[in-house]
Amino acid sequence: MLAYLQNIAVLFCINAMLALTLNFIMGYAGIFSLAHAIFFGVGAYATAYIAMYFTDSLLICMSASILISALLSMALALPALRVRGEYFVAASLGLQVIGVTIFSEWKSVTGGLGGMIGIPRPKLFGYVFNDDGMFLLLAFVMLLIVIGIIALLVRGSFGRSLMAIRDSESAAQSYGKHVNAVKTISVAVSAGLAGVAGSLYAFYISFINVESFMLETSILLMAMVIIGGTGTLFGPVVGAALLMSLPAALTYLPFLPPSELGTIQQIIYGLAMVLLMMFRPGGLVGGRSREKSA
Amino acid sequence: MLFVQLLANGLQTGALYALIAAGFSLIFGMTRIFHAAHGATFTIAGFIFYELFAILHWALPIAAIASAAAAGLFGVLLDRFVYAIIQRHEGSFFTVFVASFGAAIVVQNLISIFFGKGMVTVTTPLSKSIEVMPSLFIAPISGIIILCAIVAFLILQWLLTRTNLGIALRALGENPNLIEVYGLTPRRLSQYVFLIGSILVVPAAILTSATSGLNPSMGNHVMLISIAATIVGGVGSLRGAAVAGMLLGLAENLCLAVIDPQWSEAVTFVILFLFILFRPGGVYGRAIVS
Amino acid sequence: MTSAATQNEILLQIRNLNKNFGGLKAIQDVSMDLPAGVITTLVGPNGAGKTTLFNLITGHLIPTSGTVHWLGKPLKGIEPWKIARMGIARTFQDLRLFSHMTVEENIMTVMERSSWLWQGGRTEAEKRVSEILEETQLAYKRNERAVDLAYAERKFLSLARIMASQAKLWLLDEPASGLDPRSFERFVTLLRNYAARGITICIIEHNLDIVIKLSDRVAFLDQGKLLAQGSSQDILKDPHLAAIYFGDRS
Repeated sequence: MLAYLQNIAVLFCINAMLALTLNFIMGYAGIFSLAHAIFFGVGAYATAYIAMYFTDSLLICMSASILISALLSMALALPALRVRGEYFVAASLGLQVIGVTIFSEWKSVTGGLGGMIGIPRPKLFGYVFNDDGMFLLLAFVMLLIVIGIIALLVRGSFGRSLMAIRDSESAAQSYGKHVNAVKTISVAVSAGLAGVAGSLYAFYISFINVESFMLETSILLMAMVIIGGTGTLFGPVVGAALLMSLPAALTYLPFLPPSELGTIQQIIYGLAMVLLMMFRPGGLVGGRSREKSA
Repeated sequence: MLFVQLLANGLQTGALYALIAAGFSLIFGMTRIFHAAHGATFTIAGFIFYELFAILHWALPIAAIASAAAAGLFGVLLDRFVYAIIQRHEGSFFTVFVASFGAAIVVQNLISIFFGKGMVTVTTPLSKSIEVMPSLFIAPISGIIILCAIVAFLILQWLLTRTNLGIALRALGENPNLIEVYGLTPRRLSQYVFLIGSILVVPAAILTSATSGLNPSMGNHVMLISIAATIVGGVGSLRGAAVAGMLLGLAENLCLAVIDPQWSEAVTFVILFLFILFRPGGVYGRAIVS
Repeated sequence: MTSAATQNEILLQIRNLNKNFGGLKAIQDVSMDLPAGVITTLVGPNGAGKTTLFNLITGHLIPTSGTVHWLGKPLKGIEPWKIARMGIARTFQDLRLFSHMTVEENIMTVMERSSWLWQGGRTEAEKRVSEILEETQLAYKRNERAVDLAYAERKFLSLARIMASQAKLWLLDEPASGLDPRSFERFVTLLRNYAARGITICIIEHNLDIVIKLSDRVAFLDQGKLLAQGSSQDILKDPHLAAIYFGDRS
């Protein structure tokens, strides 16, 4: 039982990190990305590759994951953000599709469709996190750090710049905001921290393959952010918790055919998205906070 | 000869994509709604046709009309009951997009509950390929597809330039306030846009059911093409979207001469990225002032 | 606030400015000076090109030919955000406030020019924010979201933003329209205070009453051409211009 709960808790930390980082750009910057699963994946594969072939040092692997994810996101952001935000959705969708193909085909680095097996646990100052309980502690500390970084950014002048750009890009520009730079930095931060989640995931599960990083995952993450509430600090955490407990909750309903549980889950959060946007666009935590502009 | 075969396939795919993209571009260009459920419309049309024609053995024309009705109804209902409410209180791009997306997820999964997750096809004698020339295989249905596309575009052209409704629809995209002068409301017109835009995918859906087959998650691919073609062709330009759709269909097939099939979807996006980088206005579109 | 110029020093110079959109000549050979400490109003019928002129100054549009010089530097080809940081700020007819941010945040974010993560001089900044809130009488609304404000309050917030921007040139697009008489008086007083401190102010306005009360100088634009500029008395009393303004073209 303890092992089961520990497992859920680690996965919760990882999902919460992903939801928080996605919300950073969606809720605060107004940038819609359908490619978040790819940055998650890049972080995971980077850590897996380094851990398996070079070193299991936590610091090195995680730093590499952060760096590579962030750099990749900037390659996407720099051209795509120059045009209207709608185009970023399209570009991110493209990245998601291409990313999955690359993950599946680049056998030498990602192991292709078979994925990578046997990723070791990380080592920090000589201590190896083989104990699941200690790993949970690590995951939790990383989650707190991610929350801290995001809170710091959001509550300070950078956050205000982001929100100004979200609320009125033309006005923000007219008051000296370097819109492209701000957006690009926010995308890089979002992707880099998603890379942290990916790194933890690879270390924990010790086996990764492309199935975890497909469009379905990006959609699930988007659902977490939206349902929990965009533009709030803890909304995404609530969303992550809710959507993670959905599968378990559904198993308690006897009339649902077990083979269709995944499908039914998707229907539920699809429906939730529609209804929330109609009546409570700020999400469960945010409320009606998305009213018309001034 | 392989090249000619790929070209023929490309024309067939291109014609289908042109129709799909035109539907999306019509809706997006005129209502500014990012109708992420356009792919779902396609899936509904395809599966309803499959159910009526292949399973219940209705006559083809009746099944086709019923499927068109279903598609049109879906688009109009979504606009009337979801988008309208959202636009009333806030209507930002984000909110509409997410609602649309949510609807698409619901539809995709409902269909997979009723029809399973696998591929289904409609078999007709028309989809049997004939060796027209040495190593060039074309099915009669390809000719029908291209014919359908041309007819659909001619009708659309006539509708938009010769009828009052069409002119009003074009005004909707440029200057919504002008419409009230004609005694129409943007809301009512928007429903016409969704009706027409949704019905446009029906020929493509029916023909796809007879060629490559249907599966519940094909809506994603339809959305990819719609978005890419709309951007490449230029937002606001129907002709652009159609041309771009044709281009993407051709590119997707022709590139098979040099790369593996799993990368063909990526080709679409490379083209899209190139346009975003160098010519964001698309081929025909309005210049973007950022 | 540091006073950047002596009274009436010319800080913005527009020379032979032209802007064509395809075949349409939106701005034709406009030359104008905007002196410091003076409130100039741009008037003219709808579609005369007033907002286009603003956009050409702020860098949102690129001139077809001609020059705009600010503090002696040519502005052509410089991106809007850089021009903003050179000391030129504008408001919009539709305000474009940062709707989901509070009044205080709207002001603060304008003061925080740089996009970097940390800013120095907090107490200075807080003092200035309080000052601005006092001047615009928005202090009691400092934690309200912009979208929740009343109409007049929003107008004043728009002004507060430009005050916070430390800009030396203010381009205001119909800033006072729809204000009740008391608010309007406050508005005029505020503008005059800042003009007295050496700010160059240029306003687009349709309401002639407002034009008379606000302006030191008036520039009349019609179909992209600058027909006349001078003191408000001279311009507004000209029957020929009045005819054009009210739609009589002969």
